[in-house]
This record gives sequence, structure tokens and C-alpha cells, in this order.
Amino acid sequence: MPFLNDPLFGQTMITLMAAVVLVLQITLVAQKSLVASIYVFAVQSFLLAGIAGTIAWFTGAGHLYLAALITLLLKSVLLPAILLRLVERIGIEHEMRPLLNVPVSVLISGMLSLLAYVVAEPLQHGLSYGGPAALGHNTLPVAVALFLIGFFLMANRRKALSQVLALLSLENGLFLAAISLTYGMPLIVELGVFFDALVAVLVLAILVGRIREAFDSMDVTRLSRLRG
Amino acid sequence: MPLAFLLAIPLAGAAAVFFARRRFVLELVYGTGAGAALLSSVFLAAQVLSGGPVSFFNGFLYADALSALVTLLTCLVWALSAPYTVGYLRGPQPSAGESPAQLGIRDLRLYYTLSLLFVFTLLAVSLTGNLGLMWVALEGATLASVFLVAFYGKPTSLEAAWKYAIIGGVGLSMALFGTILTYYAAHEATGMETWEALNWPFLLAASPQFNPLVMRLAFVLVLLGYGAKAGLAPMHTWKPDAYSEAPVPAAAMMATAMLNCALYGLGRFFLLSARATGAAMPSQLLVLFGILSIAVAMPFILVQRSFRRLLAYSSIDHCGIIALSLGFGGPLGSLGAVLHMSFHALAKPLLFFCAGNAQQHAGDDSLRNTAGGLIRVLPMSGAALFAAVLAVTGTPPFPLFLSEFTVLRAGFAQGYGWVSIIAVALFVLIFSGMFAHVSRLLLGPAPDLPAGDRNRWTVYPLLPLAALLLLFSFWMPAPLSSLLAQSAALLEVKP
Repeated sequence: MPFLNDPLFGQTMITLMAAVVLVLQITLVAQKSLVASIYVFAVQSFLLAGIAGTIAWFTGAGHLYLAALITLLLKSVLLPAILLRLVERIGIEHEMRPLLNVPVSVLISGMLSLLAYVVAEPLQHGLSYGGPAALGHNTLPVAVALFLIGFFLMANRRKALSQVLALLSLENGLFLAAISLTYGMPLIVELGVFFDALVAVLVLAILVGRIREAFDSMDVTRLSRLRG
Repeated sequence: MPLAFLLAIPLAGAAAVFFARRRFVLELVYGTGAGAALLSSVFLAAQVLSGGPVSFFNGFLYADALSALVTLLTCLVWALSAPYTVGYLRGPQPSAGESPAQLGIRDLRLYYTLSLLFVFTLLAVSLTGNLGLMWVALEGATLASVFLVAFYGKPTSLEAAWKYAIIGGVGLSMALFGTILTYYAAHEATGMETWEALNWPFLLAASPQFNPLVMRLAFVLVLLGYGAKAGLAPMHTWKPDAYSEAPVPAAAMMATAMLNCALYGLGRFFLLSARATGAAMPSQLLVLFGILSIAVAMPFILVQRSFRRLLAYSSIDHCGIIALSLGFGGPLGSLGAVLHMSFHALAKPLLFFCAGNAQQHAGDDSLRNTAGGLIRVLPMSGAALFAAVLAVTGTPPFPLFLSEFTVLRAGFAQGYGWVSIIAVALFVLIFSGMFAHVSRLLLGPAPDLPAGDRNRWTVYPLLPLAALLLLFSFWMPAPLSSLLAQSAALLEVKP
């Protein structure tokens, strides 16, 4: 299959996947069900692994294959599984009740995406376009948009678990930024980052469980006894 | 190799403690580990002083004077707090139930394991030469300390731990973005693609060629991220909750060692971006965040009702002073930052330990409910508390006066006269607030409490801290002062 070696094909695939990743991030903002959000996050991580894998295929950057594989296993299988089990075990009400309603939230996400393009544009100045060396460079605005929308998502959620999910999607933006700027961080740093992500989810999951026991709720707006 | 040995000590300790069955073993491992770590950090500092920077495995581990100093401070706080930790945890502890209770062996094992892991990550921050791994270690420090904050399992501790985890997590993700951008700048300027591209000596040498635009954005992100970890306003809101809910020795570690480590990381990135973009923008940002932190802490200190929250706001204030000093820059500014980091690391644990003794005795952390006159029932802790408050507010002859004075001199020398004048006014207000609270707590007729200060393990550990503070008021050993001078020279922006 000759098109598998055509960088233009790779570029098209990466652009397509990055676009879907951004759409999924906005879906996370609009989604009210916690379980559905976890699936959306899993698919988003799967596509990120796809982007990393595609770039690795066309540039022959060996360590990116490993990063893609770890992303696939960790972020699109293991972490969603942990979160889903947690939802099941502590029987959380599925509705997420964001602070702002859905239309306003989606509108804000759209504006944040625009802002991301404005922020990322000057940074891309030094990056070249065209040819196999430029693969994925046009995804930087998407990465910044994921980052910014992730922030908004954290602020707009009341439930502890959905804040964890927002933090994870924000980290997906960082991963995309790293592969679009430099084809990933050095492997040893990348491994450390993955390890921390795994431990962070375990820590937060334990904490969510204990908050649920102590407060009989996951609503973080109830965590308001400490003031001043 | 003291570098690898230093990291191995707390890690091996954590493993040993995890399988220990008796309280005595836990305490022994924790204490001897602290002693051994302190010795090897002194050895490391001596090695760096005599032979220049030490590097191990291609700069995977790396120590220059600055990292040796931060490592030494971490180990010093650990060693000086180890006996207190033993004594404090033997006493009655707050619990999820109504009345205070003794800790069981399972809880003790959890505490010692977590705090050894916490120390391990903090030492890794200052001992790794790779800025990417430094981020990994700081994130690890957050994760280890989240459970220390949640240790008592009360609803309020869970609330504090949640805030801490979320603000810390968001902050660190910003810092990671900044690290990625720094790597990109290095990659673009030099074409390096391996992990050595994030090694400190390499980055410092290459930094003048970095893309200024990228480094500007990177510095803002790292300032927000590591600033949140250190507790600079406006990302400081986790701090009062975490410090008042964590067990006292853990809070003391967080307020000194972790604060130093976060500011150490921030200082490294400050140097890189100052060399890439010119010193003006990063310095002004540091001055802005520094003075803002002092200003935000001031009103909360004046009206504070809980003693340990008071300490947290004081720590925000000191974090602001160090950032301010870094921002002022010049030889005096960097010296002021290094001095303040060191002396604050001695004064703050003393304050926390006295507060812990008072709280354990009175059974209450509130400044309002306690009747006062505590010095009559707690003569040792009370006197030490008085001295510690004088020290921490920068009263002469204590060494923090010297460091704050250096900071202000740097401000006037570098043309930040107005900022320095505002800072002096804020210092005075903070001093009066702290002093008023502490005199209400300590002075007055004897309260309706039995005589305290009976537990040797929580009283005697106050003495070396107080003695060191007094000693440094009048005399500084020559090797230590040259270590401080060399660290300050490393933190100075030189074109």
C-alpha cells in the first residue's frame, strides 16, 4: 500500500485525529453523564496514541512508539477502567451538574479554542511546514486549546471525579503539545510523567472514596468548612 | 558517591518501615535515616565546596553549591524534626472520632512510610540535574504529601487534601507545559534530542540562544506552577488548610523543605529565561508575585483565629520575601534569597513544634478559645515560641533580620525603592499581628490546665533549633558562609 509511506497522507490523518480530539474535548464540556465522559476521555486518549504512533511511523522516532503504546495502555485502557470501577463501587449519581449551563460552556470552549490559535501562532513561527520533518506541527493550537478547555472544565465541575477527569484531559493537551513541538519529551522524562499520572489517579481515586464516605457526597462545593 | 547514597537512604528507609512490625523499629529507622542523610549532605556540601559541581551518570544526578545547600537544608530539617516526630506521634492525636486517641501501629507505619517517600522526592528535586526529572520529583512530592495532609481522616483533613491535590495538580501541569516549552527552545537552538538536553549545565550554557518568545511563555507557566507549589499568592489558598490539617511534623517539612524545593526549581527557570529574554520581564514578575504574597498574607495574619493557619500565612509571607529578593536580583538580591531560605528553614520548624506542643496540651488550635497564660504551664515550649516568633518576624538579633535587611538593601540598590518601602510597612504590620496573637496566647494568668512539657521527646528537640538560630545570629562558620555565597552567585543573573 503505497499511501502508507506518503507523508501527505500522514499529515492528513494527524490533522483529522487532532480535530476529533478537540471535538471530544468540547464534548466533555457538554457531556452531563460521568460514565459517558470517561468513555469520551478514553477515545480521546486512543486518538492521541494514534497521533503519536503515526508520527513515529513517518519519522522513525523509536521512542515515540513507546510513548504511543504507554498512552494507549495507560490512558485509554487502565485509567478509564480505574475510574469506571470507582464510579461503580461507590455508586455515584451520574448527573454532573456543572456550574454554568451547557450552551454557555460550549460557547466559552469555542472562544478558548480561538484564544489557543492566537497564543500558539507566534510560537509556531520557527516551525517548518511541509515534508516529513513537519509532521504534526500544526497540532500545537489544538494542544493549547485542550489545555485551556481543561482548565475551564476543572473550574466548571462540582463533582470530585469529574475534576479528576478534567485534570487528565488537560494532561492530554500537554502530551499533544510535547509531540507537536519536539516529537515528545525525552523518554526518561516521559516515563516519569506517565508514572506520575498513574499514581495521581490512584491517589485521587482513594481520596474521592474517602471524601464520599465522610461527606456522603462527591460534591466539592460542600468542602467549604475551612475558611480564612 | 554521596549523591546516590543520599537518595538511597530515605528509599531504603521507606521499604524497611513498610515491613516493620513494631513502633520502636519505625522510630529507629526514621531517626537513623535522618542522621545518616544529614551526614552525607554535609559531606556532599564539603565535596562541592572543595571540588566544584559533582555529577553522576551523565548529569542524571548533579549537585552544585545551590543544590547542595537546598539538600543540606532538607536533611537538616528532617534530622532536627525526627526526634520531635517520634515524640509528637506518641502523644494523643486528633482522629475522625470525637476525642483524641493514640495512633495504632498501622497508622504509624503509614505515616513514617509516607514521610520517608516525601523526603525522598524532595531530595530528588534538589539532586537531579535534569529539569524534566525535577518536575517528576516535585509531582511525586505532591502525591506523597497529599496523604500526609489527609492523615487524620477527618472531614476537614479530606477537604484540605482535596484542595491541595487539585491546586497542586493544576499548578504542576502548568509547570510541565513550561518544561516542555523549555525543552522545545533547547531543541530548536541546539538540535539536541536526548534527555541530556534538559540537563542543567547544558541548558544554562545554551540559554542565551533560546527563542525569547518561547522562554517568556515558559517562565510564566513555570512561575504559576512552581509558585503554586511554593505558595505564592494568588495560588496560595491550599496552604492554610493543608498546614492546619497535616500532622505538625509533616506540616513543618512542607513549610520549609518543600517550599525551598519549589523555589529552587523556580530559581533555575528564572535564570534560564532571564538569560534568554533579558532579566527585566522575569524579575518584574517575581517582584510582583512576591510583594503580592506579602500583601495578601498581612490581613489574614492580623485577624487570624487559628494558630497553625497563622503559621501558614506567615509562610506565604516568607515565600513572597524570597521571590521578591530573587526578583530584585543583583548580588545582594540573590544573597538575600539564599539567606532567607536557609534561616526560614530553621525558624519555621521551631514555630510549628511549639505550636504543636501547645495544641497537644490545650487540645485546641484556636487563638480565641485558649484562655492565655500558656507560658505558665508550658515554660519551655512557651519561651521557645516567643523566641521563634521574634525570629520569624525578623527581629534583631535573629538571623532573619539580617536576611530581610539584605533583601531590602537589594531592593533599594536595584531601583525598586517604592516596593521596598511597601515591604517594610507590611513587615511592621505582620510583626505586630504575630506578636499580638502570641502574647495573647502566652501571657496572662495561669489557665485552668495541668502543668505540661513533660514529654522529653517533644521538648528537647526544640533546643537544637533554638540554639542554631541564636548561633547564626552572632556567628557563621566559614564553610557555611562560603556555601551560601557560592549559591547566591549561582542564582545571580549574569549575561
